[in-house]
Amino acid sequence: MKTSYLFPHRLKTVSGILFVLSFITFVSFYAFDQFGNFEYKAKVFAIIGNDGFLGDNDIFGWIENSIVDEVLATIVIVTGIVFAFAKEKHEDEMVQSIRLHSLAWATIANYGILLLCYLFVYGLPFLNVLMGAMFSQLIIFIVLFRIKMYQFYTARQDEE
Amino acid sequence: MKNNIKVQRAIHNFTQQDLAERVNVSRQTINALEAGKYVPSTVLALKLAKLFDKTVNDIFELEDTD
Repeated sequence: MKTSYLFPHRLKTVSGILFVLSFITFVSFYAFDQFGNFEYKAKVFAIIGNDGFLGDNDIFGWIENSIVDEVLATIVIVTGIVFAFAKEKHEDEMVQSIRLHSLAWATIANYGILLLCYLFVYGLPFLNVLMGAMFSQLIIFIVLFRIKMYQFYTARQDEE
Repeated sequence: MKNNIKVQRAIHNFTQQDLAERVNVSRQTINALEAGKYVPSTVLALKLAKLFDKTVNDIFELEDTD
C-alpha cells in the first residue's frame, strides 16, 4: 500500500536533529524569559495584533514586533511535522498501524492533559498552558511513536 | 486470528527475512504476524497465500474471540 502524505525518509535525521535543537532553544528561551534579550525588530503583517500588550488592535495592518520567537516557532513546527511524519526506513502496513495507534493515543492524552490544565490552572499562568498546547500533541505523538518503533525494531526474533 | 505462517515458512525453507523481502514488508512485521500480535491487511494475506501457493483460508483461521 502506498501512502502519499508522508515525507521522504532521507529528511528524517536532519529534521530530527533540527527539531530537538530548536525545541530546546525555544523552551529554554521561554522558561528563562530570554526573548526580551534577543530581539530582532521587524515590520510584520498582522491579521490582528498590536505593538504592545494592551491597546487598540490593528486589523490587517503592519506592526512592529520582534520576530525571534516567530522564527524559532516556525523551525520547531516545520521540522517537528517533517520528523513526525517522515517515512521509516522500511515503511510497511504494520508501521502505519503503529503510527495511527500512536496518533490516536497522543490526541487522547493531549486533550486529557489540556482538560486537567483548563480545570485547575487559572489566571495569567494559564498563558503557559496555551503556549504548551501549541506543541504538546506533536511532542507526545513523537515520543509515543518513537518508543513504539523502538520496541518494534528490538522485538525478539522468534526464529527456529 | 490464528495463522500457520511459521509452518508454511518452514515448508518452503524461508527465513523471516526471506519471507519479508518477498512480500515487501519488514522482518519485524513477519515476526509480529507469527506471534499473533498483528492481523495483516487483506492485500498482505493474499500475497502470503499466493507465495505459499495456498488459499487464504489454509493459512489464516478465525478464533472464537474474533
